[in-house]
Amino acid sequence: MNKKQSMLFGLVRGAAAILIALLVTTLLIFICADTPDGASFGAAFSAKLTQTGGALRQLLIGPAFRSNGSISTKNLSDVLASMIPTIFTGLATCVMFSANQFNLGAEGGIMLGAFAGALGAIYLDLPAGILPVVCVLIAAAAVGAMMLIPAVLKAKLGVSEMVNSLMLNYVVMYLIKYLLNTHLADKSKGQVQSYPFQADAAIPQLIDNGSKLSWGFIVALVFVVLTTLFMYRTRWGYAIRMIGINQDFAMYSGMKVGGIVILSQVLGGVLAGMGGGIEMLGRYTAFSWSALPGYGWTGITVAILAGNNPAFVPFAAFFMAYLDKGCNLMSTYSGVPAQLIDIIQALIFLFFAAEQFLSRYRQHLVVRNTQEELAQKAAQAEGSVK
Amino acid sequence: MTEEYVVQMKGITKVYPNGIAANQGVDLNVRKGEIHALMGENGAGKSTLMKMLFGLEQPTSGEIWVNGEKVNLTSPTVAIAKGVGMVHQHFMLVPSLTVAENMVLGMVPKKSGLFIDSGKAIEITKEYAEKFNLHVDPTARVCDIPVGMKQKVEILKALVRGAKILILDEPTAVLTTQETTELFKELMSLKEQGYTIIFISHKLAEIMQITDRMTILRGGRSMGVYETKDESPEKISRLMVGRDVVLKVEKGKAQPGESVLRVRDLEYINEWGKKMLDKVSFDLRQGEILGIAGVEGNGQKELVDMLFHLNTPNAGSVEVNGASVLGQSQRKIREMGVSLVPEDRMLYGIADSGTIEENLISDRCGTKRLNKGPLFDMKAIHNECDQLIEDYTVLCKSGAQQVKMLSGGNIQKVVVAREFSNNPKLIIADQPTRGIDVGATEFIRRKLVELSRSGVAVLLVSADLNEVMELSDSLIVMYGGRISAYFEDTSDLSDEVMGEYMLGLKQQAPEEVGRVCHE
Amino acid sequence: MLLERIFTTDFFFSVLRITAPILFATLGAVIGEKAGISNIGLEGIMMISALFGSLTAYWTGSWATGVLLALLVGVIVALLMGFFSFNLKTDIILTGVAVNMIGSGGTLFLVKVITQATEGSALASTTSLITKNLQVPAVNIPLLKDIPILGDILSGHSVLTYLAFFLVFITWVLLYKTPLGLNIRSVGENPNAAASVGVSVLRVKYIAIGLSGAMAGLGGAYMSMYYAMGWSLDMVAGRGFIALAAQAMGAGEPFGSMVAALIFGLAQALGIKVSSLGADSNLVSPIPYLVTILGLVVFALVGRSRAKQRHSAAALQAAAAK
Repeated sequence: MNKKQSMLFGLVRGAAAILIALLVTTLLIFICADTPDGASFGAAFSAKLTQTGGALRQLLIGPAFRSNGSISTKNLSDVLASMIPTIFTGLATCVMFSANQFNLGAEGGIMLGAFAGALGAIYLDLPAGILPVVCVLIAAAAVGAMMLIPAVLKAKLGVSEMVNSLMLNYVVMYLIKYLLNTHLADKSKGQVQSYPFQADAAIPQLIDNGSKLSWGFIVALVFVVLTTLFMYRTRWGYAIRMIGINQDFAMYSGMKVGGIVILSQVLGGVLAGMGGGIEMLGRYTAFSWSALPGYGWTGITVAILAGNNPAFVPFAAFFMAYLDKGCNLMSTYSGVPAQLIDIIQALIFLFFAAEQFLSRYRQHLVVRNTQEELAQKAAQAEGSVK
Repeated sequence: MTEEYVVQMKGITKVYPNGIAANQGVDLNVRKGEIHALMGENGAGKSTLMKMLFGLEQPTSGEIWVNGEKVNLTSPTVAIAKGVGMVHQHFMLVPSLTVAENMVLGMVPKKSGLFIDSGKAIEITKEYAEKFNLHVDPTARVCDIPVGMKQKVEILKALVRGAKILILDEPTAVLTTQETTELFKELMSLKEQGYTIIFISHKLAEIMQITDRMTILRGGRSMGVYETKDESPEKISRLMVGRDVVLKVEKGKAQPGESVLRVRDLEYINEWGKKMLDKVSFDLRQGEILGIAGVEGNGQKELVDMLFHLNTPNAGSVEVNGASVLGQSQRKIREMGVSLVPEDRMLYGIADSGTIEENLISDRCGTKRLNKGPLFDMKAIHNECDQLIEDYTVLCKSGAQQVKMLSGGNIQKVVVAREFSNNPKLIIADQPTRGIDVGATEFIRRKLVELSRSGVAVLLVSADLNEVMELSDSLIVMYGGRISAYFEDTSDLSDEVMGEYMLGLKQQAPEEVGRVCHE
Repeated sequence: MLLERIFTTDFFFSVLRITAPILFATLGAVIGEKAGISNIGLEGIMMISALFGSLTAYWTGSWATGVLLALLVGVIVALLMGFFSFNLKTDIILTGVAVNMIGSGGTLFLVKVITQATEGSALASTTSLITKNLQVPAVNIPLLKDIPILGDILSGHSVLTYLAFFLVFITWVLLYKTPLGLNIRSVGENPNAAASVGVSVLRVKYIAIGLSGAMAGLGGAYMSMYYAMGWSLDMVAGRGFIALAAQAMGAGEPFGSMVAALIFGLAQALGIKVSSLGADSNLVSPIPYLVTILGLVVFALVGRSRAKQRHSAAALQAAAAK
């Protein structure tokens, strides 16, 4: 199969996965839709259809357009703003999965990063321009250090990084909740939250419309470029990818496999931590997360959609953020719960990651390609005989 | 006369989807109650032929008759039903299960309709073990028993499923001498009870000792059927080991310099307690190609693993230009100037879903010339890779193509291009042309000669007699983990002489072998 | 004395109560792993089953029907995982991640839809639905309950708690005493060997993942119909993940894994107890997770020395796998 066909196949497969997910979504919305009491079957059916249509419209078009057809900048900037954390967790997952390390700690990582950033924002006494930068760096370092635990245990003892990273997510969450409830709690507030951040710590906004679209978005895009460069233009990123494809080959070629396994996970941690810090300082004025935020799991979906290639992460993140916003709008206007996003996400995810999904179609492409090549060769051979 | 034969394979041809013809018009006739040898070098087509008889593969053309009935063996289950059983070279056993449990797997005796009747399973095992004089411990777990006993379990497994015709695929390859003697006794006893045995091997001494008749395969074709007692080992060796086409490679006389590789008294005992390397000592000098010939499984693989520290020997030393290789990382060994063309290119040689470029730079990705500060110098990488692709005539659309999309020969060229181009002082080429097309083969061979003439030391390990005799300046033959012969000059060597050493009919005196240590 | 205040009969009673759901999931992990399937979807299956179990109990007014349905839902979800992993070749870990996504957000969606959320007053839990008479009943065991101390610890648990521990034995029997168990173990260890004697590898894998889902389903029922009164968001709280660790620490054996599950139960009970004595619950809640990490490290260190002895077995397997 040549490159063009590969891309065509990827495109068709992706589209099919999304289509199936949307079909199931439509079905779910249809089932959810209310029926007027005592309506005849036909009337109930058409009522449901209308409702489904309205809900789908909100889901698919709502994030971009107002009901009068004009472009909704507010909704779009909301979408872009909510991409910030998932771009970072997506990048983190790309790096770790590229090395074949199933570290699922981006979830705890982003929470720890947010918390570490918040601590800096509350307590550090630094000049205005530097404070947010230092806070984000602290966040990155904290999560990088956290990932050392599953990474070193994997490289040195062969302990499953997957189970350990999952456990760490909970440990991180409870410890943060503990600190938030005790030493950091701002008792003057009605809800559980930390003392307020210093005003200087805030990451400035790009658009001041309440969307919380901060400069963090630009930083995220910069890190997409940096991570892509790192993965495809440096020897370390190269080593990470080669280890992911064939660890024995990497070892035989003279790469330090253990070190690279650790590097990939620590780097994943740094990225997730950075995302946490930026999200916290760009959106909030005090820390009040009392549960894992879910960005880590979305990050995994984003990485799978991006095929573990950092360059595609913003597109995948946009897609997920768009759907998420759509689900929120839909729940506001039509009563279909916003958590529908999790089901859509799981479905797209499952079909995207399925190697054999549409394998017959691929087989068809391969066979056609081989036949063409054989025909070409035969023609050449004939030509040379003559 | 058909009744005379329990197995008849007529005009069998097998062409694999990749175009390789493993068998071409092969006939095999096996008499009832005989031990029939199927002989031939690696790649002669023995295993393919037997896979078809056991239903694992289907012939492209030809007929198979079992017990005078034409059969269509579509799966092992069908073959078993026709009374054909096979003992694979790599055992099909579940290690943590007991011997009895392995025996009855897939046909478990039950009690109260629900539970395994382990008493019955043990009873069955014992019954068959007694009947065929194959002593096994039914309650021992398979992972705890010696390899010889595992093989008995495999034979019993076939027998308990009603096999009357037993195929044994190189059964002695993993056995110690004592275990081999025992196995032969058991096979003789099976034969006396009327069982038919097809014995795949390339060990001449064993064949002479135990078989009644033999069919010899070479290059996928049958070289005829012979009565064992009528033939001399020398004649069989000639039939089996021989070069169909002699590829000539022009090479001047070697002018060996200093020793680069120095191996002394290398010993290795594998996990099953079999001695795979026994006091192996040799020197390899600058500018020469030292060939290591031998039938596969005589310690060559283990030797190469030691030289690149993919495994650790029990005793002995390996030095490259005076520095020990043992205990070093592969990076250090590469820094010493050692390159390895691995035997299994898909396992070590390449990252299959990586691009050609990514596969070409794996050993040098950290060098200054390919990096600009922290970043890769992509231009330098493209240039170097394009040059390599051109020099090594890798047939591809561009360096950005995935390696797994290439043909076997071109994949091997990628491996070779990488291994030959980083200024090596020592190249270990392990089966460098196995399974690849003629064009690529010839190219790689010429490159090896070229490099050696420019002063590189080349260790050529090959089961391909043609290759090892044509390319090598001097040559070692390995048999049973030892060096059985050393030839300083390969130009006047004959296939016959080689065959005798390769098959263990002859062994040089220690002084003669010792000449390979140039001290 | 502090120790006396902690280690009361109530405390040991609670250890068993807390261990039971982990134990269900652990058995699911054991059966899956024996067939070569790493089922990280146990967490999500428990969530989904917990929801459907409690809802069914509410609708039918029968706790037993609720438990049965939870089990059935567990099996169905697991078989779907099997379809994606075995037939469509999605990595089993990613399949598990997807099930966990549905288990967290997806269940909340379903709760809101099914409980007929009208205009924003959506229920975020089913806690109001499970009343005392719908809870899985506790049973006092005659004779045992009259023994001092032991009776207080061992008697008076729910039917499901006893079932969890009884299933350890059943799982052991299944794996080691039945033809199916033999097939499961052989498929997990050397699928080629199993296939070569006519065992259908795919079928055995489906059965194993189905059983694994059944166990997680029971664990889910336990969570929403006994441990807590009804379903609430994230109520499983990593028990499905801890089960994977327990499986690993128990070397994949039912009884060994049960001991590991008990250690986690003990750690968590201790946490609850200590926090009831005044310590911050958020500070003691991470203990079971930390114990898991620690346990895995200890297990790996022990396994290392054992690995040397088992070297030959591994080599054989590797050879056979080729």
